[in-house]
Amino acid sequence: MKISNKFLFAVFLTGFSIYLVFALNPEGASRILLNLLTFAGIYGLSAIGLNVHFGWTGLLNFGHASFMGVGAYVTLLLMPHAAGREGEITSTGLPFIVALIIGILSAALFGLLLGLPAIRLRGDYLAIVTIAAAEIFRLLVRDLESITGGVYGIINYTENLQKYRPNFINNFSESLEFSPSQAWVCLVAWVSILFTVLFLKRLNNSPWGRALRAVREDEDAVRAMGKNAVWLKLQSFMLGAGIAGLSGVLLAFNYGSLETTVFVPLLTFYVWAIMILGGVGTITGPIFGSIIFWVIISETDRLAFILFENANGQQLAGVRFLLVGLLIMALMIFRPSGLLGKKEELLLDVK
Amino acid sequence: MSNSLIEVNNLKKTFGGLTAVDVKQLGFNKGELTSIIGPNGAGKTTFFDLISGFQNPDGGDIHLKNKDISNFQPYKIARMGMVRTFQLTKVFDRMTVLENLLFSGSEISNDSLFKSVIKSKSQKKYEENLKDKANNIMEDLNILHMADSYARELSGGQKKLLELARSIINEPEILLLDEPLAGVNPKLAEDILSLIKKLSNEGITILMVEHNIEAVMKISERIVVLAEGSLIADGNPNEIRTDRNVIEAYLGKDND
Repeated sequence: MKISNKFLFAVFLTGFSIYLVFALNPEGASRILLNLLTFAGIYGLSAIGLNVHFGWTGLLNFGHASFMGVGAYVTLLLMPHAAGREGEITSTGLPFIVALIIGILSAALFGLLLGLPAIRLRGDYLAIVTIAAAEIFRLLVRDLESITGGVYGIINYTENLQKYRPNFINNFSESLEFSPSQAWVCLVAWVSILFTVLFLKRLNNSPWGRALRAVREDEDAVRAMGKNAVWLKLQSFMLGAGIAGLSGVLLAFNYGSLETTVFVPLLTFYVWAIMILGGVGTITGPIFGSIIFWVIISETDRLAFILFENANGQQLAGVRFLLVGLLIMALMIFRPSGLLGKKEELLLDVK
Repeated sequence: MSNSLIEVNNLKKTFGGLTAVDVKQLGFNKGELTSIIGPNGAGKTTFFDLISGFQNPDGGDIHLKNKDISNFQPYKIARMGMVRTFQLTKVFDRMTVLENLLFSGSEISNDSLFKSVIKSKSQKKYEENLKDKANNIMEDLNILHMADSYARELSGGQKKLLELARSIINEPEILLLDEPLAGVNPKLAEDILSLIKKLSNEGITILMVEHNIEAVMKISERIVVLAEGSLIADGNPNEIRTDRNVIEAYLGKDND
């Protein structure tokens, strides 16, 4: 396989940003790195799913957070957990892997349900419907307190995954002063990315992948060629939603407690930024994009401290938004194809 | 029931107060090369949209091979063997020319997600055959050297060729060509015309909307003239040339 310059540049940039973490943090760099790599893995996975929607099929999905949310809530609620104001304990439940599979399938099903009415819409109309649906989902989950724990959230579920933690993680974490449970979530996230990427690589140049790209290019022509464009779009929606569902579950395990505020539209925008940074339409692009993005996010604190004396949380968040906004603007102007995208296949001009 | 391959009765389509199409009865026979002409706004493209399922009629019915297809989805009609092209060429811009053809030639069952994950030997074989077929067509149409270019890099005329190539890869019974010569240079127009003639000789039923009257007169076996949505003349090129209604539609009414 020929390694392109773009790929080398992406690797270099990723390596450089990891180096930055060490350079900027004389103390506890490895712990910070683990934290951001865990987030990078989870968000990267989500961005890979979004790329199936947008990069491959041209679906302008702005409700990605809800797919992550459905995956997370269904999976957690099926396992032993505690939820709500009183922290009501449910001690019985399915084993992790079974609950996870049901969670992923539910996310895909949610994709299908959302898709059925919405998918006949094109371009920005679909974006409006998906962002609205995602907010409806979040508000429903917030108000269905008896089931989802509402604003009090869900706790006491991490053991479902942590009990499978292999011993080598403990030893390894001890020597590096990691949190072993986060190291385990991190490992699971990156293994999930590996399998998802292999799976999508298989599909990318297949007749199915080709059909999705044709839908992206011109739906009418697809129909004129005797193909059912709506069904192809629904399949794409389900696959991408399923991947997002998996990443949502991992996100919940990384946080240790789950609240509805996790799934605000900002989450979707972060995932979009990662996908654009990595390269729309690419498979591995979001991985690099995600690491670089999270280095920027996590090192914002340093920048905020330079800008303000004794920066408080609100100022930190402000600087963070500012940086993400600037990042997206700079990308659109200087490198709209992202790190790995092809210029000839520039996919951002939505019809 | 009639012997026509395509048959429309009392077909009607209106947009607000405007009647775009209002055709009492019109049939097209197997193997015929028919051109549909008429002044701008005569309803030619709407007529195509109706019979290919891209718009639903407000009244009347459309039969294809004696089956009522009035409210069928476009892809179902295409699968029955009637394939259309578009007035504004619709190629898959950011896919290569070869991919354009492979997608169009591939059967639905070959496109399935399941098969694409399994990647069986039979699918591989199918794809190889498809590639050969695509290569042959590209060679015939003189676009083989562009096989790996993105479709967006083609010239307007080449895009028309690609769209035609895409429509014939599945060996349709009926081709609906919406202005196949629009915006094409004269040399390429010759090529496209002779290709259409060749396809017709191979037995494909062809309906063509075209503004290039000279070309229409040259290759059509039958010409149907629409004006303001209605059928005003129907006959062979010689009959149409001298038809009073047609002359009036194009040039305006005589005042005496």
